[in-house]
Amino acid sequence: MKNSFVELNGRQRAFALVDENSGRELVGPEYDMISPHLEPQKIVPESDDGVILVKGTLNGKNVVVISIEGKFQGGGIGEVSGAKIVAALEEALDDNKNGKTIYPIIILDTGGVRLQEANYGLLSISEIQNSVIALKKYVPVIGLVPGRVGSFGGMSITSAVLSYLITTKKARVALNGPEVIEQEAGVREFDSSDKDLIWNTLGTRQRVKTGIADELVEDDVETIKNAISEAIDQKKDAHRTDKADFYLTLLDKIDFSKPLTTEEYRKIFNETKAEKHEIPSAVSSDTPGDKSRGRLWFEKLTGIKNAKSEYPTVLAAEVDGKEYIAIVPDKNNRFPRVRNGEVGLQEGFVISKIVNKIVEEDKDKEVKRPIILIVDVPSQAYGYKEELIGIHIGLASSAAAYAKARQAGHPVIDFIPGDAVSGGFLAHGLQSNRMIALADKSITIQAMSKASAARITQRTIAELEEATKHVPAMAYDIFNYEKLGALYKLVHDVSSWDANDDAVKEVHELIDEAIASTKDQPTDLRFRYETPIAIESGRKATIKMREMVDDQWEK
Amino acid sequence: MTEEKNWHTHRDAKNARLASASSLFNGKFAKTEDVVEVLNTLIKPGDKVVLEGDNQKQASFLSEALTKVDPERVHDLHMIMSSISCPEHLDIFDLGIASKMDFSFAGPQSTRVSQMIADGTMTVGDIHTYLELFGRLFIDLIPNVVLVAADKVDREGNLYTGFNTEETPTIVEAAAFHDGIVIVQANEVVDKLPRVDIPSDWVDVIIPADKPYQLEPLFTRDPQAITELQILMGMMAIKGIYAKHHVQTLNHGVGFNTSAIELLLPTYGEQLGLKGKICRNWELNPTPTLIPAIESGWVQSIHSFGGEVGMEKYIAARPDIFFVGKDGTMRSNRALGQVAGQYALDMFVGSTLQIDQWGNSSTVTNGRLSGFGGAPNMGSNPTGRRHSTPAWQSLKPDDDPLAKGQKLVVQMVETFGANKKPVFVDHLDAEEVRKEAKLANVPIMIYSEDTTHIVTEEGIAYLYKTDSMEERKAAIEAIAGVTPVGLRSNPEEVKKLREKGIVALPEDLGVRREDAKRSLLAAQTMDDIVEWSHGLYNPPAKFRSWS
Amino acid sequence: MEKLHFEYQNSTPVKKFAHVGVVASGDLEILVYPADGEKTTLDITTGSDGFEKVWQNVLDRFFARYPLNGKFIVHDFGATPGVVNLRLTQAMEALKDEK
Repeated sequence: MKNSFVELNGRQRAFALVDENSGRELVGPEYDMISPHLEPQKIVPESDDGVILVKGTLNGKNVVVISIEGKFQGGGIGEVSGAKIVAALEEALDDNKNGKTIYPIIILDTGGVRLQEANYGLLSISEIQNSVIALKKYVPVIGLVPGRVGSFGGMSITSAVLSYLITTKKARVALNGPEVIEQEAGVREFDSSDKDLIWNTLGTRQRVKTGIADELVEDDVETIKNAISEAIDQKKDAHRTDKADFYLTLLDKIDFSKPLTTEEYRKIFNETKAEKHEIPSAVSSDTPGDKSRGRLWFEKLTGIKNAKSEYPTVLAAEVDGKEYIAIVPDKNNRFPRVRNGEVGLQEGFVISKIVNKIVEEDKDKEVKRPIILIVDVPSQAYGYKEELIGIHIGLASSAAAYAKARQAGHPVIDFIPGDAVSGGFLAHGLQSNRMIALADKSITIQAMSKASAARITQRTIAELEEATKHVPAMAYDIFNYEKLGALYKLVHDVSSWDANDDAVKEVHELIDEAIASTKDQPTDLRFRYETPIAIESGRKATIKMREMVDDQWEK
Repeated sequence: MTEEKNWHTHRDAKNARLASASSLFNGKFAKTEDVVEVLNTLIKPGDKVVLEGDNQKQASFLSEALTKVDPERVHDLHMIMSSISCPEHLDIFDLGIASKMDFSFAGPQSTRVSQMIADGTMTVGDIHTYLELFGRLFIDLIPNVVLVAADKVDREGNLYTGFNTEETPTIVEAAAFHDGIVIVQANEVVDKLPRVDIPSDWVDVIIPADKPYQLEPLFTRDPQAITELQILMGMMAIKGIYAKHHVQTLNHGVGFNTSAIELLLPTYGEQLGLKGKICRNWELNPTPTLIPAIESGWVQSIHSFGGEVGMEKYIAARPDIFFVGKDGTMRSNRALGQVAGQYALDMFVGSTLQIDQWGNSSTVTNGRLSGFGGAPNMGSNPTGRRHSTPAWQSLKPDDDPLAKGQKLVVQMVETFGANKKPVFVDHLDAEEVRKEAKLANVPIMIYSEDTTHIVTEEGIAYLYKTDSMEERKAAIEAIAGVTPVGLRSNPEEVKKLREKGIVALPEDLGVRREDAKRSLLAAQTMDDIVEWSHGLYNPPAKFRSWS
Repeated sequence: MEKLHFEYQNSTPVKKFAHVGVVASGDLEILVYPADGEKTTLDITTGSDGFEKVWQNVLDRFFARYPLNGKFIVHDFGATPGVVNLRLTQAMEALKDEK
């Protein structure tokens, strides 16, 4: 009989992957480092907050296994669990930088952001992605998606930045779960009760055939260990976020007004050969584009009137040595699910091309070009075809491009005059090293719409709203967001829809200040938990967890 | 001289009804769209009507049509049903089409049944076991009209009911030979049937249905949901009951406890060297969780009350085990299965929602008049039994020269249900429900006197060994955990009962709690079962959890 | 959610930390530490309200059999008394293993 890996709980899984008697748990349950955000919402916490860190050896090689417990709160990432993962990855990064090779292995069994700690989850996940991208310069970062939860939401984006993804047939990988798509786009878009459809679309059997996962193995402990060991030895890397030309070519071939079966998609996927795509800058025109806060500020900050671009939802242009990038609505877009400014399949790939080009052009320059993200993203796109093709790879591509740019020394600055929601924000905004936001009531900043969050957490919208009063990370407004400490600046005298000359001047100055503030500073994301608000209250648990992991990293 | 008595009034009435509807028929066949008018014409006020519906198969096309008849023409029907499973079974009471109900089981509709009785919308004749209800169809509930479902029908009106034959022949027989009208909905009309399950002679009207009859995979349990406690109880049961009493012929009620046992046979049972010694001949719906035991050679035969969605191909490929026709499909039969279950088994293992301090059990709880289906037949000691088996003999008291054996009737429960309600209670809710529903008897599923063993996570009570009601109560208390009943138990008494062999704790049986792990299950997922079946089992989509 | 606190006077000292279980639906985790003082203490966070008496009964029975003197922290996500008892027994066994 097989020795099932999936059957094991998160802790058993972590120990199962390391050589016998080599495993040592860091910040284990005895420290009872529970999330401080669950009990105020009347939710029972777990002593390890759903993440288990085990250092040990695999076939004699040093590894750190990061195991997400799928049974606790659906494997959702909150502040403490997120900080635990990031801390371990950063320790591993330091070791590798110092010539002490250690291989991180991440067991993904997660619904993504823990909705009860929504904005912490988003911050944490972007920080995880940042660390993974930095680590990949030294060692492959191997992911394992055993099931039964699979890998969803923001953590599916993380799965796409990992070097190599091993799965069993009991897992699914997707950005948006079927329930959420049904909630956001209707049952005709995706019937969440149709289990055959779900497993045929999001199940790993389809995923390994279409570039979303790399290897399908039996659910057996030894088999899984061997697969991971081999991936490490052979330094396997799928380069999943470096395939923008391939996906842009593929997307050119698909008619988004027509149905697309899994078989048809597999055929298109197999037949597609990457063709080089050029992304020209936005230029001015005679016809105004569809209104949005993002477009308004892009046009004002760049001086480009009625900006238009070949990819109508992505506006990008270099002005005064700074690259401005915005995602905007387009009422007649050929991708129906991005017409309101959502980040869809194409946007992420287009942005990654723009950003990677800048990094390439500046690679030998002393001073790197600043990249200014104008953030107004109501969400990621919710759609069946988006999931079938793997929208999370698109979002991961832009997130990875921004992270690499920042790590290479480019100041990556967010200017947030609009919404900053969920996967859209992870793809376009959360990899910045400074965030400037307007103190405007119209801004929504969250991980999921209220309707979907209520459905997934099995609460009423009223209960959800009650919870937002007690837990700032649950809130939907920028004022509560400030309390988390991640913002560089909250601008009180400028409003989102009023980009008058004074306002534009002020924002320009603030952007320049923010750029200057990154000079000779670390190129990671630590600024966010080192602000006075973060230290005082917003990221106390994060900081504590980082200290503990650091204390315990070496024996 | 008296006038000659007419001895065929029923036949005359039937012929008159059929004649009045003749314009709707082409031979025996009526059109799908005429179904409501057929029912309007053939059913008369006050008729006794059997509507086929058990807990798996539903004559759903006819039951939906019955809700659309004209209550001016068709009313005050006396419905007779094995199982009240669908909303429309009760809608006809709200609509004034039916007024009285005799049934066995109410399952998903049990709450609404309670409500309708309280509101006076429905009068209940009685709650029956399946066998009683089938029996009464031939005695004092002889139907005027029966509405049944068939898979296929040929041009002459022969029926193929196949895998899900279940109780269709029994119902049809009651009407066909006493001048009742037999109305059949058919999934499909074909030139040639795979086999004839019911001859066309017995059938009066056939209506092709707009869609296949409804079928529920009611007995399928996903191994993924089996808990460590269920495994612990399963290990105790295998060692402390199955092996101890050499149980060879048996039935498992529906539930995770017995699914756990089925999946422990090829692992734990094998370790104990029990293969071939226990669990050989079964009366059982074809539950997928038995596949690993079948494949490992534990099982000699299985007869089934009904089918189970997804098991068709597997069963067709295992005719040595199942009752399979020459055509390759199983024939199930609920009436014969219940007879077998009552008379031919060593043991019945079931579960329940409540057990009282004396050991009576019921699934009827406040606000839920669920009925019992087959459990009381199988969960009772048939005093008419004369043949002997080792298990039956093992329960024979040794102090009486005329003593005989007894059937093992085992209840397996966790002391608290999933809702954290205690299973062991001083008084069954059923006592209150009797008053509210104005029933003649308290709706008890299995009586204390028939219950020979109770298994909980705490241990096993061997009730058949007790010699007084006081001792019986003490034995139940000893394994009732921290329920109100269990709290009355005290350590000295438990010690005494353990010494007498009336109570066994896991340690007494040599069962280690820490061994009760899911890795002991022969299959941990539905997918594992598919693998055991060599790909022949095809689980319904709702159980899918792999790609 | 409800927080419960219980205290016992027990004789068998807990010498090491032990941990069992997961805060999964219908399950719980138990953390056992050596006692802070003389008393055995239990701090329970449970997702099912209104079962204080049932907890008391489960614990009374468990400690009557295994009088572990330690500090217990319990995070319960709706476990039945049967599951609670099983996990307590497993915790006890884990303590034995480590000794």
